[in-house]
Amino acid sequence: MRKLRFILIAALLLLDSCSGRRAKDLSGVNGIEDLKGHSVAVSMGSSYDLMLSDIGGIDVIRIGLGELLVAVEKGRAEFCIIDQYQAAMLNMESRGLEIRFRNILKGTAGAGFRKEDSLLCNQFNGYLNGIRGSGEYDRWLDEWKSASDSMAYASFQVPVHDKQPGGRALHVGITINYPYLFLKDNRLTGIEVDLFNRFCERMGYAVDYEIYDFSALIPALNSGKIDVILSHMRRTEERARQVLFSDAYIEGGGAAVCRSADGKAVGVRAGFLERMKESFRNNLVEERRWKLMVDGLWVTIRISILSILSAVMIGIAMCRLRMSRMRVVNLPAKILIDILRGIPLLVVLMLMFYVIFASSRMTGTLVTVMSFGVYYGAYFSEVFRSGMMGVDRGQWEAGYALGLRKIQTFYKVVLPQALSRIIPVLKGEVIALIKMTSVVGYVAVIDLTKASDIIRSRTLDAFFPLILVSAVYLLLSWLAGCGLGLMEHRINPKSRKT
Amino acid sequence: MIKVRHLKKVFLTPSGQELTVLRDINCDIHRGEVISVIGPSGTGKSTFLRCLNRLEEPTSGMIEVDGMDILSRKTDISMVRRRMGMVFQNFNLFEHLTILDNVTMCPMILLGKSREEAESRGMALLENVGLHDKAGCLPEELSGGQKQRAAIARCLAMEPDIILFDEPTSALDPTMVSEVLAVIRHLASQGMTMCIVSHEMQFVRDVSTRVLFLYDGVVYEDGTPEQIFDNPQKPVTQAFINRIRTFDVTLADSRFDLYGLMGNIRTFCNKYGVSLRTMEKVEHVTEEMLCQIIPFDAPVRFTVDYSEKTSRIHMVFVLENSRGSILSAVPDDSLSLMMVRGMSDSLSEPEPGRICVVI
Repeated sequence: MRKLRFILIAALLLLDSCSGRRAKDLSGVNGIEDLKGHSVAVSMGSSYDLMLSDIGGIDVIRIGLGELLVAVEKGRAEFCIIDQYQAAMLNMESRGLEIRFRNILKGTAGAGFRKEDSLLCNQFNGYLNGIRGSGEYDRWLDEWKSASDSMAYASFQVPVHDKQPGGRALHVGITINYPYLFLKDNRLTGIEVDLFNRFCERMGYAVDYEIYDFSALIPALNSGKIDVILSHMRRTEERARQVLFSDAYIEGGGAAVCRSADGKAVGVRAGFLERMKESFRNNLVEERRWKLMVDGLWVTIRISILSILSAVMIGIAMCRLRMSRMRVVNLPAKILIDILRGIPLLVVLMLMFYVIFASSRMTGTLVTVMSFGVYYGAYFSEVFRSGMMGVDRGQWEAGYALGLRKIQTFYKVVLPQALSRIIPVLKGEVIALIKMTSVVGYVAVIDLTKASDIIRSRTLDAFFPLILVSAVYLLLSWLAGCGLGLMEHRINPKSRKT
Repeated sequence: MIKVRHLKKVFLTPSGQELTVLRDINCDIHRGEVISVIGPSGTGKSTFLRCLNRLEEPTSGMIEVDGMDILSRKTDISMVRRRMGMVFQNFNLFEHLTILDNVTMCPMILLGKSREEAESRGMALLENVGLHDKAGCLPEELSGGQKQRAAIARCLAMEPDIILFDEPTSALDPTMVSEVLAVIRHLASQGMTMCIVSHEMQFVRDVSTRVLFLYDGVVYEDGTPEQIFDNPQKPVTQAFINRIRTFDVTLADSRFDLYGLMGNIRTFCNKYGVSLRTMEKVEHVTEEMLCQIIPFDAPVRFTVDYSEKTSRIHMVFVLENSRGSILSAVPDDSLSLMMVRGMSDSLSEPEPGRICVVI
């Protein structure tokens, strides 16, 4: 056991030290034009992404918000561009990073509304004008700026607004993006949320925030899943064609971050265990982030169980149709199964959420369970079918010849034998399903993976949350495997006998 | 007990063609009879049996069991099947159940017996077929013969009025055939009504009260075992009973392909298991007769009949339009003739131009 632990730790250390690369001399880079010939990590779909792509000659690496700093830290990209407020808040020195230059794409951000929802947009603009006139706007911004500048966010009292009862319920799509929107003590807060909460309080709207990927916000708005985009979104020509932007409420810009000249973290580099401890505290304990993980875990478990149940039921139905002797029944079933098996699950999920059930107010969880049910139903049905076909026709005949009816023969004779063939194969499919639930973040469900993404976007630490999440998935898969193994054991006549 | 009239069964082959297996079957099975169904392969013996409990749906005709038309829609076929046991060629024991559970399941579900009742009866039946100590085994742990005996016990547990045996020994090792046949014999001696499709002719002859010879989709000949086996009336029955295999060829003139012919004879002999010595004799006789003895002034028709039952070969050479006896034209001390005589049991010319050789 001790030996094993030693090997494990050695492997982790090796992994950690291998990931760093010698940094090039980047001191000559002081503006956007200088980025040519360098690799730059940006958040996918962000305005920085669009800008850099337009310039050309830059190796643009499009990744998630949470991975930006890590990518630079580990040498996957020479630069990354993050919001300058955010950059100022983070202790760059301790990570061996520095801010090379600021004020990239300085601009203003507004809330996004549906084109036909100009009424709401006008209300919001009216509200902004009002608070600008009364001085409330300045007070609000100063409050937040001082919180940022002092880096005292940990002690900063988060303004809390409770949901208003009654009134129209607004669904607001957000992206976790510190310090505009973030979770503190598992409550959503940040500059934008605070502003919008004040607005809703004034107007008497109930508000419901849903966390999306930045790139999924506009489709979600246009398909009616959300009413407002509140995610520090800059107005661009392309976006303005699809989204009605409100007046600007905040000014901002990006900062280019690279590794500092010596390429090493300042100060004493703590030992491995120390760093793990620090990661643990940072990623789980602080701001009670573990609670987000636990909630995510429950969502994952709930979605997995419901998906497995619906997949089994849909699988049985599809199998029944597929095995029908009538061509008009079995042919469509076969085609449907082939189609489902030929499309990536993520695409099926997105189609269901943004196209098929776009106009309905179904939650991501429900759509997820339905998509997983249909998708894995197709797989399960083929497993069931091969299990059924594996039972010799003579078994049916023997049942009939003894006087059993069709249904009795099925339950007493064929099904037990089919199950002992089905379950070992099903085990693999079920484990695949559980692991596949990690994509549900795309449809605004905060599962285990998404929870870790949110934490990572805040702590900008890749290692610990990912390892933790892998361990939890491993445990879930193992448990599911054990459960089905037990069932297999009980059904197998040989093991049952002894 | 069972009355079958004008039973017809047409199969649709995958290519869409119709294949008439049973054309017009008529027969009666009475209580206490042991009916054996025999006939060349492919004549629908098994299909006939499976029509009796509607595992195959007859195309047309009528089947009555105890006066009830079982082909009628109103008939609950499951109820009829409870009274008719069936033993399959491939046993079809329920693979997921122990031997005892195989025997007790249906009486418990269908006859409403309690577990104790079903198990004590099941154990008694297993004892009868000699499988008392295998009650807790799974089917896969048994030999073929044991499986078939267990299947018979499973049938008997339902206390059927009649048992249908569908080639019960065809899938068995030769060493295991006798143990299964012994069980069936025992049942026959107890007066069980049975209908047996089998290729075990000696067994059929011993156990049956009546034999149906199926050929060309009809009951071609029908009688007691003695009538069918010792004195069959119709030619196909005769050939079948004696298991006669025939090789038949007509040679146009003396330039025929001798090596090709020898090859064909060899293939024929190998196919039906003619012994090597006999085969060599056939080859020599053929060569001497065709190349030396028979004057090839007209086409020759040449037939070899092999009876699997007696292992004897009858060879017939017919010279068309023969102008006289062939053998008498050949000198008695001819080397060829002496060779043929030496190798055969008898050589004769019953009519001029027709020579018979028995080996």
